[in-house]
Amino acid sequence: MNRSKHVLLPSHGTVGAQAAESVAIELCAEDAKIHHLVVVPDLWKGMMGDDWLNNGVTRDRYARYLETELGREVEEHCERVRSKAKEKGVHYSCEIVLGKPDECLIEACMETDYDLVVMGSPRPKGTPGLRSRMATKSLTQALSSPLLTVPYPDG
Amino acid sequence: MIYTKKSPALFIIGIIMLAIWFTADSGMLASYIEHLGGKKYKYLGELTSIPLYFGILSVAVGLWQWFGKHTEGHWDYYSSTVAGAMFILLIAMLVRWFVAPEVAVISTGMGKVGNTGSYIHKLLGLNYVVIGIVAGIVIVNVFKVPEWAQNGVRVSRLGLKTGVILLGTLYSAAELKNLGGLSIVMIGFFVLGSVGLVLWIGARMKIPNSMGGVLSAGMGVCGVSATVAAAPVVQAKSVEIAYTIGTILLWGVGCMFVFPIIGNLLGMSHVQFGAWAGTGILNSAQVAGAALAFQPDGIETLKVAEIFNITRVLVLPIIVLWLAVWYVKREEHATQVNVGKVIFEKFPVFVLGFILMFALSTTGMFAPANHYKGKFFGNTAESGFKESKLLKSDQIAILQQEMGKVQRADRKEAVQRLIDNGKVMSISDDDAIRGLVNAKVVSKEANGILKAAHKAVRHTAKKIKAFRKWITWLFAFGLVGLGMQITFSSMRQAGGQPAVIGGIVGFLKAILSLIVVMMLVAETI
Repeated sequence: MNRSKHVLLPSHGTVGAQAAESVAIELCAEDAKIHHLVVVPDLWKGMMGDDWLNNGVTRDRYARYLETELGREVEEHCERVRSKAKEKGVHYSCEIVLGKPDECLIEACMETDYDLVVMGSPRPKGTPGLRSRMATKSLTQALSSPLLTVPYPDG
Repeated sequence: MIYTKKSPALFIIGIIMLAIWFTADSGMLASYIEHLGGKKYKYLGELTSIPLYFGILSVAVGLWQWFGKHTEGHWDYYSSTVAGAMFILLIAMLVRWFVAPEVAVISTGMGKVGNTGSYIHKLLGLNYVVIGIVAGIVIVNVFKVPEWAQNGVRVSRLGLKTGVILLGTLYSAAELKNLGGLSIVMIGFFVLGSVGLVLWIGARMKIPNSMGGVLSAGMGVCGVSATVAAAPVVQAKSVEIAYTIGTILLWGVGCMFVFPIIGNLLGMSHVQFGAWAGTGILNSAQVAGAALAFQPDGIETLKVAEIFNITRVLVLPIIVLWLAVWYVKREEHATQVNVGKVIFEKFPVFVLGFILMFALSTTGMFAPANHYKGKFFGNTAESGFKESKLLKSDQIAILQQEMGKVQRADRKEAVQRLIDNGKVMSISDDDAIRGLVNAKVVSKEANGILKAAHKAVRHTAKKIKAFRKWITWLFAFGLVGLGMQITFSSMRQAGGQPAVIGGIVGFLKAILSLIVVMMLVAETI
């Protein structure tokens, strides 16, 4: 089972994506490479909303704060996967992109050939979290690499 | 980085504007304008002037952007905003002159709705403002804002702020005092109430302090703007910001459609609706939208609503400060707050512009000092009275015949002075004659003469008239642009506990403020 030499782990920080991390590393062969594609969903571009009352200083402060927060979350996320990969002796590389999760994943797969793409499951209804889907119909139709979807963690 | 895009877009926008002007000015649009209402169509004057000026500007700047050489710098950045600004303006033009009138024609053709006595477009407030915002929302979510327009879309905020600054010219001191007092009471009660309620419910539901802080600012003060101001201070997590902004945008857009419908059904006055929208709608952009949706062809409602918006934004630094102190007390790792810095940074500078314009207006710079809402009394040639408007002998004879019907002494004396001089002699006489007209005591013919005499001495200040027109356009421009910044993906984030708390507080705020307005706010100020 552990034959994958080059695995793509796409993630945008959801609980489902976190569940896929361990499975992806588990499926890597010894000395394999895992490429961690972290997508910052472009929904954040609209998070200034239709604010018009604030002045430039307040808006800049907010934008910098939000960027720092997202950066910190991504950094923590990458660090977690990096240390898991290191434990298993898997070569880890990371790429951070901004865009639509499914489109970014398709683009990444078009650029490089992967033995396997491992991703998490969509969040079950009623579970709190960001509404940003990576597993879309267009994704499954467009991917050229084999895709493994890891079940959403219980509880 | 060079921001100006080498694109033919702005040039094409200019050509479209010039085509609109040419077809309207040459009469080629005559049959279509007849279809849109003929003599009732109000925008022919605008159609034959505004697209010409902006069309020439767009073509000239567009050619330079397309073929010119651009280098990095401030000038490049400012120039890059022109295409987006003209794009918004073109959308606003098309919606105001063609789409909204077409919707009205279709709606009128469908007949009145049940026993409401209103057409669908009136009932739903489907006018150029609402349709313009919807057009903006559709463009950003379905087609996406083109890259060459993205910098310019941000200019829409400047349009709204300039509109508010110019609004300062339209208030009388008495209006500002009364509206200011009312808004301080209403905003004070409902802002503090909803901030407190969110924090209280949040504590019961055991949500994190950072989430409670950012949500209470958004729900309590001025929606997205308050969230933007408060999020860094209460160190909100990214997902908490997303939840809050999603909830507020969803509520705000919903309220912008629902409030005018309720206002129309309840027959609210401009003052009542402005006060209700200014208090009950969470998000400040939608307050302006709802006010213009309720009264698209006048700005009395907008004037009331914007005073409430200004009060909200003045309260914002205080609330942010309060939340900062509240947060520091509850969180060990919270950063200490610099009170002076918070107040200074969050102070809305454009409000100073509003106050300045109001102060200039009181000096009589834009209209005679005795004007009220841009209208002033004048019965001399210097103040605009035309000698041709003096009463004719046959008109005097009719009034003399009717004098017996007038009972009140002040009205009788005013009419007598009118007969003696051929024109209304003072403001108090004018008031008495207007009262007599409204009382319908004299014959229809005499009433017509009195009305004409009243009109002859009431003049609209040209500058104030121009300001009104500019304000309408600036708000239409600003709101279309803000529509282009409301994404479905951000609204979709509404959910979790913030949506529950936001729903409860938003609903209570809307209902309670409606009750207070209907019970306590007079129909006029």
